[in-house]
Amino acid sequence: MKLGSIVFAGLILAVGLVYEGMALYMPRGSLSYPGPGFFPLVIGAFLIVTALGCILQEVLPRKTGERPASSSLSSQDSAAPGDRNVKKTFQLMALMLGYALVLKPLGFLISICAFLVVAIRIFGYRRWLPALAMAAVIVAVSYVSFVLWLKVPLPMGILEEVIG
Amino acid sequence: MDLFSGLIHGFSVALTPINLLFGFAGAVIGTIIGILPGLGPLGTMALLLSLTYGLDPTAGMILFAGIYFGAMYGGSTTSILLNIPGEAASVVTVIEGYQMARRGRAGAALAVAAVGSFVAGTISLIGLSFLAPTLAMAALRFGPPEYLAVALVGLVIMSRLTGGDLPKSLLMIALGLALGTVGMETVAGYMRYTFKQPLLAQGIDFLPVAMGLFGISEVLVTAEEPLRNMQLKKVRFRELWPTLVEWKRSFWPIIRGSFIGFFVGLVPGPSPVIASMVSYSTESKLDKSGEFGKGAIEGVAGPEAANNSAVGGAYVPLMALGIPFTPAMAVVMAVLLINGINPGPLLMTEKPDLFWGVIASMYIGNFMLLVFNLPLVGVFASIIRTPLYLLMPIVLLLCLVGVYSVNNSLLDIWLMIGFGLLGYLLRRLKYDLAPLVLALVLGPMMERSFREAMMISRGDLSVFLSRPISGTILLVGAIVLAVPPLIGWIKTLLRRTA
Repeated sequence: MKLGSIVFAGLILAVGLVYEGMALYMPRGSLSYPGPGFFPLVIGAFLIVTALGCILQEVLPRKTGERPASSSLSSQDSAAPGDRNVKKTFQLMALMLGYALVLKPLGFLISICAFLVVAIRIFGYRRWLPALAMAAVIVAVSYVSFVLWLKVPLPMGILEEVIG
Repeated sequence: MDLFSGLIHGFSVALTPINLLFGFAGAVIGTIIGILPGLGPLGTMALLLSLTYGLDPTAGMILFAGIYFGAMYGGSTTSILLNIPGEAASVVTVIEGYQMARRGRAGAALAVAAVGSFVAGTISLIGLSFLAPTLAMAALRFGPPEYLAVALVGLVIMSRLTGGDLPKSLLMIALGLALGTVGMETVAGYMRYTFKQPLLAQGIDFLPVAMGLFGISEVLVTAEEPLRNMQLKKVRFRELWPTLVEWKRSFWPIIRGSFIGFFVGLVPGPSPVIASMVSYSTESKLDKSGEFGKGAIEGVAGPEAANNSAVGGAYVPLMALGIPFTPAMAVVMAVLLINGINPGPLLMTEKPDLFWGVIASMYIGNFMLLVFNLPLVGVFASIIRTPLYLLMPIVLLLCLVGVYSVNNSLLDIWLMIGFGLLGYLLRRLKYDLAPLVLALVLGPMMERSFREAMMISRGDLSVFLSRPISGTILLVGAIVLAVPPLIGWIKTLLRRTA
């Protein structure tokens, strides 16, 4: 994860530099009457310094016996890196992005049904027809609860005229 | 309104059918997600946040209190029966709980965990009932320097206590503060970092950020985990009664765990997790039986009491000061914010129904949870057999529909997916998400307090140190930040000279 950490901190450093550059053009005011640019200027500097600190920490050799940088109480990752199925993450991300892209033109019913069928398969259920049946039931329940009961104006897309 | 009349008023609010229903729903959902490994209380609350929009904020707060407490109860079930912690605060329960189950004492472990949780929950609620109003009264004297000091020190303590790496935690704080500056600045109406996008003028909405960082990223991490073979141990109702010796051995760990949990809960950080670990370590040091690691009941009773008690403690700063010290409390605070309520010391006097109603509902919820986790433990434990391929797509559906429903905005879906990816990457790179989300919530308040303090003091920075309360708070922060590296430096120096 060392390279990943350096790349990530480098990206944040770049964001910090852009952020700070934009803050320089905002009215700063004075210490007795700080303007809208005052706080961002301080935050931007903080962002740059901390990102540099993270990069240096990864690059500089660690003293022996020192706690590894990655130990964290709130970390909940239980599986060893080798056991993980990273492919599923990419598939799910692509699926969600696809859903967001087709939601308006195709409408909620078609998009979410397709989303569910694919998601059920990604999570390990391989048979198409039962997956489609499960998705149809979930879509029906969510249509009744969200659209008819909670009155959420979900886009209906190409089904707009059919449903009315 | 004094404490007792406040509580009586609170019970009259909490016992209305609608609030009872939300308390019940929260307790059931909390128990279920506590039992299910993967999705934790924070992720669930973040995912359900959109559903509280337009809901009576008291009902929303009651629902979330039920979920948070319920998850602490439910977490022990899978730890004991399956050797898998249902959520992070039950990790240490696995050590002794599963060993007890292997020796045929699963029922006793479950009963002690449930009763310990109930006792601790009640003790922490008594603490919350007394401390929150007192602190709120004291906080009425707080000015902008004090608020800035509390928020700043809260972030500093959190960065040290999460156990993560300090530079990484500070980077997360900086990123959260930076995100908090996006949008129209409140004093002069100046647009910052909006890139001429009108939708960003209101700032980055907390809802898609929380749902993405905690909800979506949790689903993504769960999806990657290898499938486990869930072999539940069966527990008969008559086995649920510990022996007299087991009760005696559990008594003091429960009491100690309750107090440890409550006080750890007051401190910024993932308090239920830290509380359970502190309690486990305390009990293992006090152990005389030599059973630790082989199924000592003290190692179940103490941590399970502590993680429940920490929840009550964590509510104190939110209810009294309007400042969340944990990400879960930031999400709870969002229930108020999205319904137009600004939490703070005036909450108790301006919204007594909400303040006392929520506290009273916690007493009722705690009792409901005792019932769910003793006679109904078998029913809830069987939920773990729900296949992931059905559960996770439904969770994702709730996210995608929920986040859209608040503003009917596609931008919120994009933001949620983006922050979901960011949350996933941060988890994989071992960054703590908690400082980021707390800084995002506290950032605008910190900026406002700083600017007001500077205007009041005419640009005199010493105002933060010269006022006794803010000076003391900042001193505590400086000690927390400086002492650990100082001790390390002294130790190295001593080692070299020896």
